[in-house]
Amino acid sequence: MIPYAESLLIFTSLAVILASSLNLMLGYGGMFSAAHAVFYGIGAYTASLLALHVNSSILLCVPAAMIAGGVAGALLAVPALRVKEEYFVVASLGFQVIASTVFNQWVAVTGGIGGLTGIPPASFMSIQVDSYGGYLVLALLCAAGVLIALKLLVRSEFGRALRALRDDEAALQALGRDPVRLRVATVVIAAMLAAIAGAIYAYFTSFVNPESFSLDESILIMVMVIIGGTGTLTGPVLGAVFITTFPALLSFVQIPSTILGPTQRVVYGAVITLLMIYEPEGLLGFLRRISRVASFSALRRWQPSTSSS
Amino acid sequence: MATEHILELTGLSKSFGGNRVITALDLAISRGGVTSLVGPNGAGKTTLFDLVTGFLTPDAGRVRLLGRDITGKPPHLVARAGIVRTFQSLRLFSSLTVLENVLLAADSEAGMRSSSERHESARVAMERAGVAGLADVRAADLSFAEQKFVSLARAIAKPAGLMLLDEPASGLDGPSLRRFHAIVRALVDEGRTVLLIEHNLDIVRQISDRVAFLNNGRLLAHGTPDEIFAMEELAALYFGDDAAT
Ligand SMILES: Nc1ncnc2c1ncn2[C@@H]1O[C@H](COP(=O)(O)OP(=O)(O)OP(=O)(O)O)[C@@H](O)[C@H]1O
Ligand SMILES: [Mg+2]
Repeated sequence: MIPYAESLLIFTSLAVILASSLNLMLGYGGMFSAAHAVFYGIGAYTASLLALHVNSSILLCVPAAMIAGGVAGALLAVPALRVKEEYFVVASLGFQVIASTVFNQWVAVTGGIGGLTGIPPASFMSIQVDSYGGYLVLALLCAAGVLIALKLLVRSEFGRALRALRDDEAALQALGRDPVRLRVATVVIAAMLAAIAGAIYAYFTSFVNPESFSLDESILIMVMVIIGGTGTLTGPVLGAVFITTFPALLSFVQIPSTILGPTQRVVYGAVITLLMIYEPEGLLGFLRRISRVASFSALRRWQPSTSSS
Repeated sequence: MATEHILELTGLSKSFGGNRVITALDLAISRGGVTSLVGPNGAGKTTLFDLVTGFLTPDAGRVRLLGRDITGKPPHLVARAGIVRTFQSLRLFSSLTVLENVLLAADSEAGMRSSSERHESARVAMERAGVAGLADVRAADLSFAEQKFVSLARAIAKPAGLMLLDEPASGLDGPSLRRFHAIVRALVDEGRTVLLIEHNLDIVRQISDRVAFLNNGRLLAHGTPDEIFAMEELAALYFGDDAAT
């Protein structure tokens, strides 16, 4: 495989992790967050610092990144959700701004705008991951692991409570459940999963700086979830694939690089608006509708022969 | 502490804006049996449930459960303290199956019980409410009567000593009413205390050990059904306000 394709697939896998974990909050917990890139970034910086100064083992850096991400999640969720969940999106925006400032200004730790460079490649036992192919396997494994974990989680007793919370919060309270605790736990889990993507990103690019974890990135992750379709496991995967491969598709139609960025944004905006109007369930709903139409016409083709027999 | 009363309300008051909905209400419910809370539309019955279960905070007064002050506790802590309630609008988890709805009541006892024990208690609750055959149906796809019994099953699955049921029988037909009656009596037989809101006075007369009459946020009378129904001024008030019943 050519490195370009491999690297695109790696970034797509990371986007799948980010969108799927945000969907746990947004699609299941009903919390819009403009701070998901913070957890991605915390994961990346934590893994980078450990890899640079301690050891680049995945077994050290990834769990540490997850813990740091989870702590950051709690820092956002505990105060924000104690107040009122409606304010969560505002609190998350503030959290993103503060985190971006820290990433930029805490030069001694984050390297400031210049970031951290020369991050050593990932290692696992005695294996060094130093090829595109190796990172592709790692990223795909992580994405698959996250998706399986989310699937199990949604089906678990915790997931049942979360789905119930989405349906009727008062009824859940009347059964003895604390909605605040459920939401905080959801944010912490989502943040931990997003941090995994950050760690893989840091290893793969061997360079992290604040730009990758900005408000723009947070909004892009939210767009992936909304475009793909919230509240299902497949929707955010579709959204992540669409958003990451879309610029690559644009480059095939030879759009001058100076207007590439604006063009992307206009198209995202148009797609979101059209989906909101015609397909509130996102790309997933759109695909389902197409497949229903397809199977219906297949049925019609198939029926005459059976009715005549 | 007077623990022969499972629920004790003293001087309970609540207003919305300038509108006094519950006024200096005192009510003590003994352990066991069925107490029906009756009164015209807008009398404050549901508001009283909300005050007891922590969905509303009283402006004044105390709520005691088995002598323990639970005033102002949030709903989930009231539930854990031993009060389960249903809602007038049922509030089922519509995208979940009946089994999942009922399991959620058993789930909140987590930590002490294994998953199979919780499934077992959910199964028993569904059985008792007569909805075991609907276990895998999504709540949104149920008929109205089925929804009412699932809401009851969910309450039964929670091992709470005091059950507050908000109009659990309204809209049920004859056979369903008899089923409902049997379910409530079985709950009482196992030692639960039931406080229910009901408009249909025939049902109230049949099912209740005690009746509390609420009007304009005040408790006008509390006694046996015979005592309450003998009070002509109450009947006049009731039918005057709510001629349809
Ligand atoms: N959240 C609220 N804000 C303002 N007013 C309220 C609120 N909840 C209830 N009320 C008012 O309080 C009064 C009592 O309402 P409540 O629902 O307790 O009556 P109810 O006895 O349960 O009546 P029904 O038999 O119709 O269910 C009504 O006048 C209602 O409009
Ligand atoms: Mg009411």
